[in-house]
Amino acid sequence: MVIHEYWIQIQELTLASLKSRYRKTLAGFIWVILNPVLMFGVQSIVFKKFLKIDMPDYFLFLLGGLLPWIFFTSTIQMGTPVFVNQGQLLRSFKINPWVVLGAQVLDSFINFTASFILIMLPFYATSDKPLLSLLLLPVALLPLLIGTLSITISLSVLNVFYRDINFVMGFIFSLLFFLTPIFYPVSFVPDDFKWLVLINPVNYFIDPFRTIIHTSNFDGFFLVLCKSFLASAVFVLIALLIWKRKQNDFYRRL
Amino acid sequence: MTSTEDSDVLLKVVNLKVYFELEHYHQKDLRDVFVGAVSHPLDYLFKPKELFYVLNGINFDIKRGMRIGILGVNGSGKTTLCRCLAGMIKAQSGMIETRSEIRAIFDTGTGIMPELTGRENAMLLARLFFPKVKDVLPFVNEAITFSELGHFIDVPFKQYSKGMQSRLLLSLVSSKTTDILILDEVFDGADVFFQAKIAERMRSFIEKAGATIFVSHSSEQIRQVCNTVLVLSGGGIEFFGDVEKGIEKYYEMGSKK
Repeated sequence: MVIHEYWIQIQELTLASLKSRYRKTLAGFIWVILNPVLMFGVQSIVFKKFLKIDMPDYFLFLLGGLLPWIFFTSTIQMGTPVFVNQGQLLRSFKINPWVVLGAQVLDSFINFTASFILIMLPFYATSDKPLLSLLLLPVALLPLLIGTLSITISLSVLNVFYRDINFVMGFIFSLLFFLTPIFYPVSFVPDDFKWLVLINPVNYFIDPFRTIIHTSNFDGFFLVLCKSFLASAVFVLIALLIWKRKQNDFYRRL
Repeated sequence: MTSTEDSDVLLKVVNLKVYFELEHYHQKDLRDVFVGAVSHPLDYLFKPKELFYVLNGINFDIKRGMRIGILGVNGSGKTTLCRCLAGMIKAQSGMIETRSEIRAIFDTGTGIMPELTGRENAMLLARLFFPKVKDVLPFVNEAITFSELGHFIDVPFKQYSKGMQSRLLLSLVSSKTTDILILDEVFDGADVFFQAKIAERMRSFIEKAGATIFVSHSSEQIRQVCNTVLVLSGGGIEFFGDVEKGIEKYYEMGSKK
């Protein structure tokens, strides 16, 4: 079967799951937007007003880190248990597991795009940042998307074998949130602790996005982008290795 | 002569072997893996894992018109063989040569989105089952009519009884012919009236399909549906051929154990 057919299947599955999700909710899509809005609201008050982090355009800076972070963590947290939750479906019919996972990631990406447009654009419109650089967004989002997808694939496959992974992720993310330069710039990190930022892949995924949204300084953009793609390539390799190794046991463990 | 014979072969299974690492048999948590890796690091990395062959050297051809019933005690590799044929599992060695379209069902009690109605689930499943078809609506409508679910078709799928779910799914999967159809114990679980009704439809559908593989524990159903029997035992083919002889063989093996 060709990739085109998989893509159609992913779209259909995503549409159906959106329909299914919002049918049983009262406010539906509003919650999806409300989560990043509230997160952003509380954090901007605490960090800007209470802790008095002093830097220009702090709101845009925070958004530039927070939106990709929410996409990254929510995709992984929704995606990791997908194979276990949909185990019966996967065992019953000949459906490519990647289609089911792809639909989950696409679903998450739609939420991200919607919240981006609704939250970010008003901010952006009122500041004097050049709008033209927003055209670079698709390129900047690509490594974030590939990296997130690969990590979700790896974890969702492993979760079939070691069910505790799903529980551990929430805990890891709450630690990682503070270790990732999301609400503070890298320059705040003392030299002794810089390695913590250097080994943190999320940082590389966020960087190109934030460069476009916040700094609008494109001198080092190509390098930032390269690092980001390199980090995502590493996770693609890991995902492929894990799938190759676990593929045959997969259906027995579901 | 040989060329016409070859064109009748829809699928060729050559020395198929599937094994699992025995170590993975019990559910482990990360702690066990960690303790194992730390206390015996070299073993963890290099020790060859003990292998369990679920399928060990399977050879057979599926020819056009064959309706193969697979018999075998629990754990003899029936479902694994079907999953291999369907392309869901890759065999570690051996080959499956085919250019046929293969459709497989392993359970009928599954809807994709329990919150959505039967009709919506049917549409979605049709798109997943028949990815090459642009407009699946005629097939879905035909299946809905056949299923006789009436106004229940617009009720959320989660409210369906097992029999209703099975009706809809079997109606749907049989709404379009395919080269090879694999049905793994799909009639089991539904009540006798449903079974009879759906079995009738299945039989006519099976006649339209190029070939069928049918897994069941009921020798009566195998007699009704199949014209060839394959008996699996210990990962190998114990018997392949005539229906009555195959069933006899199966019962012989079972009573010995």
